[in-house]
Amino acid sequence: MTTLLKLKKINLKYQTGKKNISVLNNIDLIIKKKETVSVVGESGSGKTSLIMLIGGLERPTSGKIIFKEKEITSLTEDEISEVRKKSIGIIFQSFYLIPNYTALENVALTLELNKFKNPKKEAKILLDRFGLKHRFNNLPSQLSGGEQQRVAIARAIAMKPDLILADEPTGNLDTENSLMISDILFKYVKEEGSSLIIVTHDPKLADKSKRKINIKDGKIK
Amino acid sequence: MEKLNKYSEFTLIFKYASKDLGRNYKKISSIILTLFISLFILSAIFTIEDSLKKELNDNAKVLLGGDLEIDYNRNQGNLNLVNKVKEFSTVSQMIEFSTMLSTVGRTKNKSLFTRIKTVDEKYPLYGKVIYEPKGAFDRMQEEPNTILINESLSKTLKIKINEKVKVQDQIFTVIGIIKSVPDVSGFVAFGDWALAGKQTLEILKLNGIGSFLNYEYKVKFNLNDDPDKIEKRIKNIFKNDEKVKLRYPENSASGLKRIINSFSQFLSLVSISAILIAGIGIANTLLSFINQNNMSIAVRKAVGFYSVNIKNLYYLQLLILLFIITVISYVSSFLIIPVVDKYLSDGLGLNVYPKFSLINFIKIFLVGLLVLIIFSIPTISSIDQVKASNLFRNVFQNLQFYYSKKSITLSIILLSALVLIFTFSSEKATYSFGYFVAFFNCLIIFFLLSKIVIYSLKKFNFSSNILLKVSIKNITQTKSITPITVMSLGLGLTLLLTLALVGTNFKREIAKSIPDIAPDYFFVGIQKGEKEKFEKGIYNMDPDANIEIVPIVSSGIVKINGVNPNTYIKPDNDSYWVIGSERRSSWVENVPKDNPILQGEWWDLSKPNELQISLDAKVASDFKIKLGDIFTLNIYGREIDGKVINFREVDYRDLSINFAMLFNPQFAKNIPHEYLATAKFNDPDKFDETLMLEVLPSLSMIKIADYLTKVTAVLNKVFIAVTLISAVTIVIGLIVITSAIMVQGKVKEYQNLVFKILGFSKKDIVYSSIIEFFIIFMSVILIATFFAVTGSKFIVENIFDLLWKFDFKVLVYLCSSVGLVTLVLIMVTNLKYLNPKVYPLIRNQ
Repeated sequence: MTTLLKLKKINLKYQTGKKNISVLNNIDLIIKKKETVSVVGESGSGKTSLIMLIGGLERPTSGKIIFKEKEITSLTEDEISEVRKKSIGIIFQSFYLIPNYTALENVALTLELNKFKNPKKEAKILLDRFGLKHRFNNLPSQLSGGEQQRVAIARAIAMKPDLILADEPTGNLDTENSLMISDILFKYVKEEGSSLIIVTHDPKLADKSKRKINIKDGKIK
Repeated sequence: MEKLNKYSEFTLIFKYASKDLGRNYKKISSIILTLFISLFILSAIFTIEDSLKKELNDNAKVLLGGDLEIDYNRNQGNLNLVNKVKEFSTVSQMIEFSTMLSTVGRTKNKSLFTRIKTVDEKYPLYGKVIYEPKGAFDRMQEEPNTILINESLSKTLKIKINEKVKVQDQIFTVIGIIKSVPDVSGFVAFGDWALAGKQTLEILKLNGIGSFLNYEYKVKFNLNDDPDKIEKRIKNIFKNDEKVKLRYPENSASGLKRIINSFSQFLSLVSISAILIAGIGIANTLLSFINQNNMSIAVRKAVGFYSVNIKNLYYLQLLILLFIITVISYVSSFLIIPVVDKYLSDGLGLNVYPKFSLINFIKIFLVGLLVLIIFSIPTISSIDQVKASNLFRNVFQNLQFYYSKKSITLSIILLSALVLIFTFSSEKATYSFGYFVAFFNCLIIFFLLSKIVIYSLKKFNFSSNILLKVSIKNITQTKSITPITVMSLGLGLTLLLTLALVGTNFKREIAKSIPDIAPDYFFVGIQKGEKEKFEKGIYNMDPDANIEIVPIVSSGIVKINGVNPNTYIKPDNDSYWVIGSERRSSWVENVPKDNPILQGEWWDLSKPNELQISLDAKVASDFKIKLGDIFTLNIYGREIDGKVINFREVDYRDLSINFAMLFNPQFAKNIPHEYLATAKFNDPDKFDETLMLEVLPSLSMIKIADYLTKVTAVLNKVFIAVTLISAVTIVIGLIVITSAIMVQGKVKEYQNLVFKILGFSKKDIVYSSIIEFFIIFMSVILIATFFAVTGSKFIVENIFDLLWKFDFKVLVYLCSSVGLVTLVLIMVTNLKYLNPKVYPLIRNQ
């Protein structure tokens, strides 16, 4: 398998008042294409920060991130947005759907952004695939947690990204919904050949990945 | 909550209200700011108006020039009666007239139509004449052929002290420059004027009509006399003299008082517009503030507070806030007085001082209170929607404006009270009421417009452009700021555009259209035997000049159908001037080309011995005169009855010879008369005023262009001031929009975060904001232009009787300026939400 993502000596530090907080220390990581990786660790260990750095939502204090053979740490914010738009799908614990957009509009937005010819048609197919045919025109506030997360997944995978980043995707869900979401996610990456990095506290979910990374005090153990 | 007695309940609520206000004042900063600006403007208007009126009242005697004024207009009057007054008081005689004043001994001499006031040594009875050099005023009384000129005249003709000037055929020496005279009430305050000694009148040849002569006697009572008794005594002396007009200090500066009242009426309407626009923002910010306190309201309910107590808590916070803002606004308005004082002392010689008025303070507080209550009723009522049970589910629904029948009725009653207070306390209640009707209609239409825009954009899916789609979604979302933006920006822009269009039409008419059709000169004071000499004098200089020359006679309407004409019309009516004092009338054989007959027949030639009157149709309508009504006119002391036989449409705009009353020539030609003439030159430069004065020394010439330039200059200043003042509504509108964006800050930040996650670039987000703004602004411009065009057309054509034309340039300039400022402000406000910090948001911090 060829390399999709490479993290070289990544450091992330935050300044809180006069204190320097080191969140990630000298992280080296390689993710191959079609690989599924679980990131586990205690709260505050730096898991979400790692995802944010990979997604280009934050910049590391030092080190390099190479995605699809391109160093994204040296890109401008707009260039990173372009990479994210085309190749990275992100799923959050709190779903992050746009509240005033319907389920269909939330999914179609990504497709429209990527200039798909029939965004609404594609979005409908995706939502239908996740059992949300009857929820096309519902606003997020009218959906259950599981349904909201399915919409969020549909939105993240809409443009068939090379990499899916999922931050505690089942953290806000009950067991039944958690199972459904993890099945959908892993089934999708298997079928479509995307890579997946999933941050989770759930050992069962973590076990579904081919590789498990444990982070402690900002370092990979 | 345990039942407390009223006092304890109030104390408790007051305690919490003060505490909450102290902690949350930053969150309601836009309420504080908009309320402060609106109330400050209102305070400034009230304070300036009060200070000015106080100054005018305190100086009423100074402005009138005495404790009483006996005005005989064009006649010397009954000197026997005046002498009777002199027996128990001091009387100062003054005669005002207008004539030409020219420079002499220069290569190119210049002349100017000047108002000259001859005064005796008792002048002024009150106040001081400010002049230089020292002693010039006494010299003027002692030495013949000396004159004091005002600063404007000195500057215009570049006349220095000790220089010679010519008035008619007499040479005068300018011995001083006057800075101000105290009695500006009855005398010209602006323009070119001069003071001369009483002997001047004897050496000049003045005629009654052309010189605009005015005889006045100012009376000063003895210190120990009872003013009321003396007034009654003087009234009694003149009770049988119909030609005299007695004026009292309370009537002094009535013109100035009318201007102050009209201007303050306009400013009050602008300020109430600003307050009402601010009200829209207040309602929005308050709702957001209550939404932020959703949980604390639920907790308070859970611990036993009644809903009504919590609502009172918020009302009380607003009341405390309003009181503080009213105090600050009112006190701050005193800072404006020194600025006003500077302009007034320079222009009118009046000095204004800040004057505290409890009534004004209460009025401002009440206006603020009414607006606050009207706009906070539906907001604070929403507190009823918060349930303590929400705490168990940790679910807090966003509150919405709550309208009940009771709250709507109360709002309408309070709004009507506000409108009625402003309407009936204004100078012209009809105009104020009309303004309010227009304002609320605009408000409703702009609200409907916002709904139509939202509906249309939702309905039609006409674009595949993602940025346009995001913009449309922002405009059409449930809690979008579209209605607030459309209403607040729309109202401000409508007012600004309307005033600008009125202003440009006015300026264009005065600066271009009127000079095109108006004559170049007016000539007054052509005596009966001088008509040919005058015509020859003109044609000698310009053979192609177009001269119009008509006879004039001065007449006053004494009675209409046998009764006092004052019973036919109120002094505030536009046509009151017809009976205000003696008017000039003329006679012609045929119907004037630009005065078509609207009703009745032209002269009845079979009745040459009867006076027939052709009347201005507007005057007839204002006086409710019917054909066949009888006017009793006083012509040279003789009362003559004339029958109104037709109504003409008189268009005064062309500044040509127009009269409210025309007589049948068969009857009128025997009345002693002078001539009035106008001339339009092929080449105005060919006409030499000084040369003309050598032909006819008593001739007065009024150069229309000079007056139009002066009027245009004054109007320019007035319109700039008016436009700047009205721009305050735009400022308030912008604050309302900014606060609405800030209220949505969290939502905006969240949305931008999601966009960022999905791969939107900053540029995309900025572009979609710009598109969003343009969609809203374009619809606002469209409707605002429609209202401004309709409103300004109505004002220009119906109130000012001028021609209205659409000025595209003004529209483009104003709209693009307002648009640019709004866009920049929206962008700057949005800037902090453009780059959301991901970590805290993702972590739900």
